[in-house]
Amino acid sequence: MKNRALRYGLCMVLLLALNAVLLAWNINAGSVDFTPGEVLRALLDGNAGGIIWGIRLPRVLAASILGGALAVSGFLLQTFFANPIAGPFVLGISSGAKFVVSLSMVALLSRGIVIRSAALIAAAFAGSMLSMGFILLLSRRVKQMSMLVVSGVMIGYICSALTDFVVTFADDSNIVSLHNWSLGSFSGISWENVRLIVWVVCGAMLLTLLLSKPIGAYQLGEVYAQSMGVNIKRFRVKLILLSSILSACVTAFAGPISFVGIAAPHLVKSLFHTARPIVMIPACFLGGSAFCLFCDLVARTAFAPRDISISSVTAVFGAPVVLYLMASRKGGRT
Amino acid sequence: MSNLRLHTENLAVGYNGRPLLQDVGLTLRQGEIMTLIGPNGAGKSTILKSVIRQLALVGGAVYLNGQDMAGLSEGAIARQLSVLMTGRLSPELMTCFDVAATGRYPYTGRLGILTKEDREKVFQCLELVHALELADRDFSRISDGQRQRVLLARALCQEPEVLVLDEPTSFLDIRHKLELLAILKDMVRTRRLAALLSLHELDLAQKVSDWVVCVGADGIGRQGPPEEIFSSDYMMELYGTARGSYNALFGSLELEAVKGTPEVFVIGGGGMGNSRLPTFAAAGHSFCCWRAGGKRFGFSSRGGSGGGGRF
Repeated sequence: MKNRALRYGLCMVLLLALNAVLLAWNINAGSVDFTPGEVLRALLDGNAGGIIWGIRLPRVLAASILGGALAVSGFLLQTFFANPIAGPFVLGISSGAKFVVSLSMVALLSRGIVIRSAALIAAAFAGSMLSMGFILLLSRRVKQMSMLVVSGVMIGYICSALTDFVVTFADDSNIVSLHNWSLGSFSGISWENVRLIVWVVCGAMLLTLLLSKPIGAYQLGEVYAQSMGVNIKRFRVKLILLSSILSACVTAFAGPISFVGIAAPHLVKSLFHTARPIVMIPACFLGGSAFCLFCDLVARTAFAPRDISISSVTAVFGAPVVLYLMASRKGGRT
Repeated sequence: MSNLRLHTENLAVGYNGRPLLQDVGLTLRQGEIMTLIGPNGAGKSTILKSVIRQLALVGGAVYLNGQDMAGLSEGAIARQLSVLMTGRLSPELMTCFDVAATGRYPYTGRLGILTKEDREKVFQCLELVHALELADRDFSRISDGQRQRVLLARALCQEPEVLVLDEPTSFLDIRHKLELLAILKDMVRTRRLAALLSLHELDLAQKVSDWVVCVGADGIGRQGPPEEIFSSDYMMELYGTARGSYNALFGSLELEAVKGTPEVFVIGGGGMGNSRLPTFAAAGHSFCCWRAGGKRFGFSSRGGSGGGGRF
């Protein structure tokens, strides 16, 4: 027992250190070269107009927090569906959010109304719930985990098609930003966005942590959870709402980002060698955060000064993990 | 305090508001094992699922320690009643200790962190089911028999007064079936629990139960102590068996008796004949034998090789 606590502690420290290194590296690296000393001075200066404080820092913070939110959202969905390859992107939840956000953006921008961050989250949340509703309906009929994922991918395609349809009716000036956003990117995130992201994600994370006890019971299945005293109906609603809020927050600001929700929880699970929610929830957050920081670093620097979309990078590193998971589950009981 | 642990009133169970079984009258007392037997699909599991509130009741009420369960909170029920369900369970990355420790759920705080006493209780329960050495093993990598014992320990960690077990012996080989039921019987006696279970194995049901409830195709049949229930004719009726017979002495179902003239006549005694009969059957002889009860059995496998009966 002591060994386990030690292992969790060490792994947490490792993840924190990884995050710190990646944060520093992300702030330092970019198309404009800075020496570490210059970066430090710029940070202390607090010059809001500068590259470091004005552009890189909000982007790095957003990547870190949203990456964490995505991983936790994935962990919740995996628990809910008892399926290791469930995640907000794979199940089409991100695409649903993308559709409603672009719909409201196009509708409002064409009337000259600028959307506030909070409204963006609300639209993304509505879209997430829309996809989630479909997935829940399907999951009653479709028992096989692979089929559920296929259903999610289909919902994702439908939503993407609808989004493209909406985009054709957008003004030319909006299309560029809409296009960038709909591919997934952390660029262009403002301090106002970051402030809201911090509030929403911190709130949702706190509630998720408070839910870790019933999540642990739920890992043994619904029947056992109920027999231990979990109010299943209420618990399911809470789990769905939290995972949707977390992933909606990501989609609202960075667009749909693929595979972080599956890859990060799985890698973290293997590192900690446990699935205990009270450990996994903070660990997934840190893991997803590091994963996204790393991917955003690649996205910004690999073909600098050109940004590539974050989703292409997360897919390159995340999809193999998902493939491995599917292949390794084949022989086991599902 | 009354020793009545679980009872039902006008209970009707079924799916989507349509009753499958009506007037299910169960009365379970402290220190008793009540077993539901009957053919597949008759509704044994439906009754158990309704009692543990996995299924909504179609009618009537279930009382736990004299209180209507509909009016009890989830936590209050969990501290009095725990379950062991059929079906395999393969949670990710959980040790047997972790699985058993989930039984402490109704007693831990908001975040479910185990106290020292909780840990001791978990170890005690693992010891009771002879699974202490499994504590650090991965739950998904132990045998089915061990798994059921760990799940029984989990149920005991909940410190219940009533245990509900849905076909706990389903996937087990004979040794583990006996072992599990022996532990259960011991727990019920020593800890004054009450157990409600369903079983497929009539011989085991006969040995382990204090009270047997027959769930037939047309509703709840007889119920009573095993010595009254396990009469040959009634078992045939319950399972709708037209061919073959139920052997009340051994508690097993037998193949149909041979008709015609016997070639071999076996006089057994003290169980000696038992082991010989399949040999004759396998050799292709029809035979006839008598035993103390005076009932005739027979096997025939004329024209077939290797056919035989099971005793």
